[in-house]
Amino acid sequence: MNTEKRNVGGRILAIRGMPQVITVTIGLLIIFAVFSMLSDNFLSVRNLRNLMRQAAPILIIGIAQSFVLITGNIDLSIGSVVGMSCMISATLMTKGVSPANAVGITVLSCLIVGSINGLLVAKCSLPPFIATLGTMTIARGIAQIVNNNHNTDSIGEGARVFRRLFYYEDIGGVYSSVWIAVILWFIFNFILSNTRTGRHIYAVGSNIDAARMSGVNINYTVTAAYLVSAFCSCVAGLITCAAGGVGTMDAGNTYELYAVAASVIGGVSTLGGQGLLLGTVVGALIWSVLQNGLVMAGAPVAIRNIAVGIIVVISVLLDIVVRSGKRIRHKKTS
Amino acid sequence: MELLAEMLHVDKSFFGVKVLEDVSFDVRAGEVVALLGENGAGKSTLVKILSGVYARDAGTMKIFGSPVGDLTPRQAQDLGIAIIHQELNLCSHLTVAENIFLGRETTKGGILSKREMSAAAGGILSSLNIDMDPDMIVGDLSVSMQQLVEIAKALSTDARVLIMDEPTSALTAKEIDDLFVIIRKLRDEGGRGVVYISHRLDELKHIADRVSIMRDGRFIKSAGFADITMDEIIANMVGREIKEKFPRVRCARGKKIFEVKNLSAGDMVKDVSFELYEGEAVGIAGLMGAGRTELTRAIFGVDGHDSGQIFLDGREIAIKHPSDAIASGIVLAPEDRKKDGLCVRLSVRENIALPNLDSLCGGMGMVNRKKEDDMVGETTKNLAIKLSGPEINAGSLSGGNQQKVVVGKWLARNSRVVIFDEPTRGIDVAAKVEIYNLMNELKKNGIGVMFVSSEMPEIIGFADRILVMCDGRITGEFSGKEATQGKILEKATRFETKKLGSHDGAEREEAV
Repeated sequence: MNTEKRNVGGRILAIRGMPQVITVTIGLLIIFAVFSMLSDNFLSVRNLRNLMRQAAPILIIGIAQSFVLITGNIDLSIGSVVGMSCMISATLMTKGVSPANAVGITVLSCLIVGSINGLLVAKCSLPPFIATLGTMTIARGIAQIVNNNHNTDSIGEGARVFRRLFYYEDIGGVYSSVWIAVILWFIFNFILSNTRTGRHIYAVGSNIDAARMSGVNINYTVTAAYLVSAFCSCVAGLITCAAGGVGTMDAGNTYELYAVAASVIGGVSTLGGQGLLLGTVVGALIWSVLQNGLVMAGAPVAIRNIAVGIIVVISVLLDIVVRSGKRIRHKKTS
Repeated sequence: MELLAEMLHVDKSFFGVKVLEDVSFDVRAGEVVALLGENGAGKSTLVKILSGVYARDAGTMKIFGSPVGDLTPRQAQDLGIAIIHQELNLCSHLTVAENIFLGRETTKGGILSKREMSAAAGGILSSLNIDMDPDMIVGDLSVSMQQLVEIAKALSTDARVLIMDEPTSALTAKEIDDLFVIIRKLRDEGGRGVVYISHRLDELKHIADRVSIMRDGRFIKSAGFADITMDEIIANMVGREIKEKFPRVRCARGKKIFEVKNLSAGDMVKDVSFELYEGEAVGIAGLMGAGRTELTRAIFGVDGHDSGQIFLDGREIAIKHPSDAIASGIVLAPEDRKKDGLCVRLSVRENIALPNLDSLCGGMGMVNRKKEDDMVGETTKNLAIKLSGPEINAGSLSGGNQQKVVVGKWLARNSRVVIFDEPTRGIDVAAKVEIYNLMNELKKNGIGVMFVSSEMPEIIGFADRILVMCDGRITGEFSGKEATQGKILEKATRFETKKLGSHDGAEREEAV
C-alpha cells in the first residue's frame, strides 16, 4: 500500500476501492471475450451500439443507487420513480403540454419523492428499507393514477425533438441516451469525488457518529443522496418514455434491484462508505453485456436470469473474500 | 501449585512483523497472574494464542500438562480456557440469558429450554453477587453491567483458566471492588487460574499474586507480587526510567476565553458553571458515570442542553449542533475513537479533511486537492503521525496514531477551545507524551485546553487547574499544585453513597 508520488499507477491503485474496480474490469473483459467467441454478431458495430444503448439506463439508475448505498442507506423507490417519470411526462405531452414544460414538471415531481425519502430516512430516522418501500408503492400508484390507470397513447409528432434528444439522435456514432448517461456520470462522479457534499456522503456511510461529531449535517447529506437518486431515476424514466413514444405504467419495474446489482458488482458496499462510480460503470456494463450477450448466443430467458443471478452473487462473494483477507492483515497494527 | 496452562518459546509474526519472540508464560491453579506491558508489547496477542484466536508460528503450548496443537476458540473453550476480550462482544438485542448461553443453548427435542437457561443464568449471576435480571435486554444495560454479563458468560463455561483483558476500563470504583471480590472468589474455589491484563497498576495490589512483564514482544520478567516494587515493575515495562512523565509547561494565565454558566443537560449534567483562561489546561476529574463525557457532548452540541449559557470571548453563543460549535471555534476530540472520532474505513487524508472542508472547498463546493494535501501533509508532520501514506485507512493505524489523527483533524483549523475526552486512553507512553506536548503547544498559543481524564496521575501531573465532577455536578476545584489523589477522590465521591442507591433504582426502572 505504498503511495509514493513517483509512479502514477501506484497512485491510482491507492485510491480507495480502485483494486475492486480493476478486478471487476478484468471480469468484464473476460465475459466480453467469451461472448465474442460464442456469437458472431456480438462484436458487430450495430450490436455494440445497441448494447451501449441498453446499458445507458442501467448506468443511470446505478448512479442513483450508488449515491444512496454509499451513505449506508438504500433506495427501493428507484423503479417506481422511473415509471412515474415515464407516465407523467407522456401524459402531459399527449395532453398537449410542450415537451420542455413536461420535462420540467416531471423532474420536479420526482424530486419531491426524493426529498420525502430523505426526510423520512434522515429526519424521521425510519429504516431506509421501510421508508423507500412505502414511497416505492406510492410512486407506482402515482404512475398508475396520472392517466386513469391506462398506458398513454403515442406522445405524438410534437414530441419528436424530445424523443430524438433523449433516445434516437446519433451524435458521433453514439446514441443520445448514451451521451446523457455519460454526461450524468461525469457530473455526479465529480460531485462524489471532488466536492464537500460527496465527501460527506462517504463519511456518513462510513461512520455516522464520527461524521456528526465532525460537524457534518447528516440530514442534508442523506437527503442530497436521495435527491440525486430521484433525479437520475427521473432521467431514466424520460429515456424510457422517449424510446417507446408512450407512457407505460409498469416502466422501470424492479429497476431498483438492477441498480443494486450494478452498484454492488462494481464494488459499492451495501454497508456504506465504500465504492466508486467508476465501479458502477463497470457493473452496469457487466449487467448489460450479460443480458445482450446471452440473447445473441441464443440463450432462453430462464437461463439468462439464472446466469445473471449467479454473477451478482459471485461478484459480491469475491469482494467479501478479498476484503476479509485485508481485514486480517490490518489486525496486526491494532 | 498445579500448572494449568504453559506456553514455551512462542513466536508469532503478522505479515513479516514479529510481534512475539520466544515468549514463555504460565498460569497456575489458585493464582491471579497480572500480565503487564505497554500497548503493543504483545499481551493481547499472547492471550489470543492461548484462547485459540490466533495460531502460533513456533513454540509449545501445554494445557493441564498435555501438549496441544493449534486451537480453535471453541476447542480452547472446551479445554477450559475462557477469555473476556477488551471490547464487548454481546448481541445487544438479545437478553442476558440468551447472551450467556449463545452457541451453547440447551434444547429439548430441538426446542429451546428458555426457562432452564434463564434460571441457570440467574444462578451464575447470583453466585457472582451480580444483581441482574437474566431476562433483561443487554442493549438496555449500562456498559459496566454489560461487562459483568461478559464475565458471567465466560464463567458459565466452567473455565479453569480465565483471561481478562482490561476488564475494569468501563467500571466504576464500586463495580471494580465487586469484581475483585468475584475474581478472588474464583481463584480460591475450584482451582482456577486467572490471567489479568490491565494498565491500571494501582489495581494490582488488590488482586495480583504474581506479575509477568512483557516488552516489545519479549518476555522480560516474572515475579511474585510481594517480591517486586512498583518502580521495578514500571522500569521493566518501559525498559527505561520515565523521567518526566507529564511534561507540563507553565504559561502565564491570560484573559478569559470561554465560560459555561449553569449548564444542564439531561440527568448527567446538572447546573455546571466554569471558566477557561488562556494559557491553562483544565482537567476534569471524576469517576466513571460522573457526567464528564456528557458535559463535553453538551458543550459541543451533540446531545443538546436543557438550560444554561455558553460564552466565547465574552460573547454568548448558541450551540445546537456540532457544526455550530465548530463554526465558533470550539472542537471536541471524543472519547471513543472508533465510534465517534474516526471514519475508520476512510483514509487518513479524508479524516483529517472532514471537519475542515469549509476552508478546503472553493467555488461550487469543490475540494481543492492541493490545499487538502498540504493540510494533511502539515498535520501528519507536526503531529509525527507514522504512516506509509495518507491514503491508508484510518482504522488500520495503531491506537496512538489514530488518536493523533483525531486530534490532528481539529488542530488543522484555527480553534479557540479544544476539548479532549480521555485523550490518552489506550495509547502507549511515547504517544501519550506527544499528546501532552500538543496540548502544551495549544496552551502556549493562547488556545483554551480542557481535558477529561480518568487517570488520576495524569490529571494531577498535567492539569493547571482541576475540576472534579460527581453525579453531574462540579463538586470541587483545585489548582494543579494543591491537588492530591485523596483530595480529588474525596470530592469525586461526594454524592457517591446517595447516588448509588437512587441511581441503581433508576436504572432498573428504565430496564423494566
